[in-house]
Parts: sequence; C-alpha cells; structure tokens
Amino acid sequence: MRLENPYLAEECAVKRVKRQTPDVYTYTISYPRGSNRLRMPFRPGQFIMVSIPGIGEAPFSFSAWDDGKGIFDTTIRTVGNVTSALMKRGEGQRVWVRGPYGRGWPMEEAKGKDVLIVAGGIGMAPLRPVIELVAKNRRSYGGLEILYGARTPNDLLFADEFESWKGIPDADLLLTVDSVPKGIEWDHGVGVVTTLFDRMRTEPNDSIVMTCGPEIMMKFVVKGLLAMGFQPKDLYLSLERRMKCGIAQCGHCQIGPKFVCRDGPVFPYSELRGLPDLLV
Amino acid sequence: MGGKVIAKDSLGEFVSKLSERYRIFGPRKKGTEWIFDEVRSAEEMDLRYSTTILPPRKFFIPTSERIFSFKMDGGVEEPEERDGPSLIFGIHSCDLNALLLLDMVFLEGEFPSPSYARRRERTALVALTCIDPSENCFCESMGTGPSPAGGYDVLLTDLGREYLAESGSRRGEEMLALAKGRAVTAADLEGKAKAIECAKSKFKKKVDLKGIDELFLRNLDNPVWKRLGEKDLACGICVNSCPTCFCFDVRDQLDFPMVGGVRYKEWDACVLLEFSQVALGGNFRRDRAARIRQFIGHNLGWGGASQFREFKGRAKCVGCGRCIRYCPAGIDLTEVVKELRGI
Ligand SMILES: Cc1cc2nc3c(=O)[nH]c(=O)nc-3n(C[C@H](O)[C@H](O)[C@H](O)COP(=O)(O)OP(=O)(O)OC[C@H]3O[C@@H](n4cnc5c(N)ncnc54)[C@H](O)[C@@H]3O)c2cc1C
Ligand code: SF4
Ligand code: SF4
Ligand code: FES
Repeated sequence: MRLENPYLAEECAVKRVKRQTPDVYTYTISYPRGSNRLRMPFRPGQFIMVSIPGIGEAPFSFSAWDDGKGIFDTTIRTVGNVTSALMKRGEGQRVWVRGPYGRGWPMEEAKGKDVLIVAGGIGMAPLRPVIELVAKNRRSYGGLEILYGARTPNDLLFADEFESWKGIPDADLLLTVDSVPKGIEWDHGVGVVTTLFDRMRTEPNDSIVMTCGPEIMMKFVVKGLLAMGFQPKDLYLSLERRMKCGIAQCGHCQIGPKFVCRDGPVFPYSELRGLPDLLV
Repeated sequence: MGGKVIAKDSLGEFVSKLSERYRIFGPRKKGTEWIFDEVRSAEEMDLRYSTTILPPRKFFIPTSERIFSFKMDGGVEEPEERDGPSLIFGIHSCDLNALLLLDMVFLEGEFPSPSYARRRERTALVALTCIDPSENCFCESMGTGPSPAGGYDVLLTDLGREYLAESGSRRGEEMLALAKGRAVTAADLEGKAKAIECAKSKFKKKVDLKGIDELFLRNLDNPVWKRLGEKDLACGICVNSCPTCFCFDVRDQLDFPMVGGVRYKEWDACVLLEFSQVALGGNFRRDRAARIRQFIGHNLGWGGASQFREFKGRAKCVGCGRCIRYCPAGIDLTEVVKELRGI
C-alpha cells in the first residue's frame, strides 16, 4: 500500500484580503476546483497549516467556511515570517493549505444550552464560525452571549459585523477595551474582559463557555467563571502552541500527554487542570 | 517460530550470506565507544558492545530529511527512495523496543509517515540478548530488556561457544535458512534463560514504574526541577542520544538562485529554548527547569501509554542509559524519580 505524504498541501488562491485592524487581515481562500477537500467535514475551532514555499508553514484557525464550496476565511495577525509574507503578497497570491486538523469547539455538547463566548484580541477569529453556526441553527441552542475585549477600539476584529450579531435572536454582545486613544468615541466598557462578568446574564447551569485569547487572559476568565459556579467540564479553551506538523509527530505542541494539534486545540478545562507548562 | 544453534565459528559465514541480500549495519568499536556503522563481515562487528553513541533511530529518522522539493513556479517532488534492503545486526533489546514506540508516533497515528514506513519495512532486525548491561542501564525495570519479547526478525543469544538464533518473523525464517547450525534443544533454551538471569543480576539502576504518571504530575512544583534547571546546560545531548525522542523542526530552504527549494525536517529538542517559542516572544517553557522537566517527565511520566493508548503499560523511556552516560551536567533521571518518591 502506498501511503500519502501527509505534508503535501494543496495550492489554493487568495481571493480577497480584508483589513480588520492595522495588523490583522482576513484572507478569503479557495480550494482549487475538483479538490477532494471540498467535501471534507469542517468544524469550528479546527485549524489548517498554511504555507508559502521558501518561507515556511504556520497553523491558523478558520474564521468562516462556506459549506461545500471550498471557500474559507482565516483571520491573521501579522507577527512574523509567514504572516508578513501573506500580508505583503495580498490578493491573487497562491498559498499551500493542508488540513483541517484537530478537535474543534463542542458544538454538539452545546446543543440545547446557553452559549457564552469570551474572546480576547485575535482570539475572536476561531470563535466567529461559532457565532455563525449558532445564528444559522438558532433553535438548537439557548441564549448566546458574546464578551469581547481588545487593546483599543481599533483592535476589535469584525467590527462591521457587530450589528448583525446583536440582531441574532436572544443574543448579547458586550465589549471592552484596555484603553481608548484620544479622539476615538467609545461608549462601551474599559478594562480587562473579565470586568464584563458583572454585566453578563449567562448562568452556570446548562451553559457552555468557549474562550480564546492570550493564555493569561484565559487564566483569569477560568478563575472568574469557576468562582461564579461554572463547572470545569463546561469551560472550553482554545490553546496556542508552536506547531510544526499539525499531526502529532513533531512534538512541539505537547502539554504533558496531550498533543495540542491532535487532542485540541480546543480542550475542556477539566482535561487541562494539573498539566505542566500552562498559564491557565 | 523456528530456531537454530549457530557455532560462533560459523557466524562469519552467516553474516557473509546475509550481506549478499542486505546492506548490514552493526556495532563497531570507535575509540572507547561503539557506533552502528556499515559492516561487510562479522569481524568488523563487536557483539560484546555495551551501547552505541547514537541509537539506531538514525536509520529510520535521519538527523535531517527532505520532505519534498518544490519549484517556485509550481511543482512538488517527493524524495525518491532508492535504497534496497538493509539489516541492523545486533540491536539490543532497549533499542528494539524504542522502535516500537516510534512506530506509535509514525505508523499508528492518523497520518502515518511514508518514509518511516518504508525504512521500517525494508530494514531487517537481528536482535541480540544483552548479557553485559552497563552501569547506566535499567531496561529490566522498564520492561524492555535485557532480551526482547518480540519485534525482531532474528534474536541471537550468546550461549558461550554458540549462538541461539530464534526467528520472530517470516523474514527471520528465511534468514535463518541461510545459517549453518544444529537444532535447538531444551538445554539451549535453558542456557538462554540462564544468560538472561545472569544479565539481570548486573543491573545497578532501576525505576519504579508504579503510578509514575501521577508521580510526575503531582510533582510539577517540586524544588528538584529548579535545582536541575540550574545544573542543566540545555545542550540537547540527552535528546539526541535518546532512542525514542521523536521531535523535529520543519524548515524551508531556497536553492540559489531561488527557483526552487526544499522543505525538510530536522531533529529538534525540547530542552532547547526555541523549541516552545511562539509569536511575539511567547514561550511556554522559557525556564530550563520547565524544559528538563519536559524531557524527564515525557520519558518517564506522561509519555508512553498516557500519550499513545495502544502502548499499554509502557513508558517512553526504554532504559538504555545513554542520556545518563553522556550528560555533561551529570543529570540522572533514575535519581530524579527516587527524589520525587522521597527515597
Ligand atoms: C491552533 C492554532 C490556531 C491559530 N490560529 C490563528 C489565527 O486564526 N490567527 C492568527 O493570527 N494566528 C493564529 N495562530 C498563531 C499563529 O500560528 C502564529 O502567529 C504564526 O505561527 C506565526 O507565524 P509566522 O511565520 O508569521 O511567525 P514566525 O516567523 O514563525 O515567528 C513566530 C515566532 O516563532 C519563533 N520562531 C519561528 N521560527 C523560529 C526558529 N526557527 N527558531 C527560533 N524561533 C523561531 C520566533 O520567536 C517568532 O517570534 C494559531 C496558532 C495555533 C497553534
Ligand atoms: S530517556 Fe535516557 S535512558 Fe531513557 S531511553 Fe532515552 S536516552 Fe535512554
Ligand atoms: S523528551 Fe523532549 S525531545 Fe524527546 S520526544 Fe519528548 S518532547 Fe520531544
Ligand atoms: S504540531 Fe507537531 S506534534 Fe502537534
């Protein structure tokens, strides 16, 4: 039997690049016609490995997905080699994509329950498909509450979609920023994302929490929610680690016995508690 | 499976017959140490070796390996594997068991590695019961030695003037058909059992595996890690000499004049600072203490069966003793376990 080289990627086209913030862009990427990935099941929270030959490869989450059409969005902060090259090359460039990999958000477990989303900065990217899925299957889920924090109002992703999120039946959006630069109008909260807990309505019973952001932020989110009576098994976190393979071989993403790429990147807090090298 | 008893005088002939079919790699003396190297005859090998500097993992996972080549204007080429059948002669039980752990990573997962699979497939294994464990060995307590329970094509056990040769596969049967020897008697099997007992009496180190996962996870804050972190040189020798360490980095390299390049993988090590670095200077194992805890914790604590469910009852470490032997800072993982247990 001939095994397929799992590192071979598919060459895809970047159809559109949309600026979200000064250093974050959303790339709309489409698989080539006839690709067998068009029919691959996709789950919010999963990730792909994107690469530019000669520069390198890095993991990114989906921020949107068009079922069956093979078109998806990934929203990327420019921080290094691959991400800078992506930004500079812009629309029309070809990129290599392999995946999707990993375990995504608990969309099945969340059915019939209230959904609380807590995001920080770029951490909103992998949560956006959750909002879309809940909106699309509105009756399968209970209340939807979104808490979102960023450094400044200019760093909030998907700001042009906030109105439509608020328009989802039985949904709330609470915003906060660390600071407001002079000259910017801002009539939402100021302070870290956990300051929004005072104003939220989601109760610990029959609810699922999904959080993504800097690990230190998630630490305080978990701490705060546990103190309010949420259960460790109902708190889901998406973790970032260095990833070189995405398929449980290169070893970089290990946390104790877990491979973040294979067993995550989304984990219930109950599975993480007591493991090494975590901030949460 | 069958077997034969081969007189030591006839081993040369057996090896020479095998060399017509296989490229043979065996233990060869190098200075005061041993290495696995290509050999053409039995005389070039030293079958009384204790351990080699590098484990045979290098034959299955080269230090650096091309994943594919690419052209900037499109087109990807996978490396061609031209190598014919090869044979590792005299692999000890620890190193053989290490391959079974690497199989978990590179064959048993959702995305098996074609290059690893090919190399495993084309490489025959003639194992050797270890009769003279070194002062750093502890395979017995890890359940991986001194004689392997399986995974070999042929297993040799030194009976004094003869070798007991047992086959463990069809390929092994075919190999043994090339050997001159006599039938195996009950006395030979008794001789093997005695040789194993004798080897067992020589072990100086051991690890108590009972509840070892929890032992490590309960002791993440033990002061022992801070102390080891201060001693540790973060040189990576432990990882490079470990038969079961599988971690690698993936990089791209452009050819001059940038019309194409290669994507390749290269051994990497968790004890190095860059290993866990992420964007914007984040690092989840910045302190040496956390990195040495990962090396030892992964090997004895949460690796093996906790990470690969099918690897029942096994740790990642096979007790070969190399990381102890070569550590310039004198770090000994068996002593660390004792300390965690408060012994
Ligand atoms: C599951 C998952 C999902 C993710 N989703 C998103 C997302 O949706 N959006 C997003 O913006 N980000 C996401 N990330 C983060 C993203 O993967 C990183 O920001 C990205 O890898 C940066 O790649 P880069 O090539 O631009 O940076 P690099 O050039 O790789 O730089 C990143 C850092 O890595 C270190 N580094 C890189 N190479 C080496 C080396 N050879 N030696 C030493 N240090 C080195 C450096 O410290 C550098 O600061 C995700 C990460 C994970 C794990
Ligand atoms: S951890 Fe040390 S003793 Fe154990 S297999 Fe690796 S090198 Fe050998
Ligand atoms: S001990 Fe370190 S280098 Fe070895 S396999 Fe584990 S994480 Fe990788
Ligand atoms: S990214 Fe390589 S093991 Fe997880």
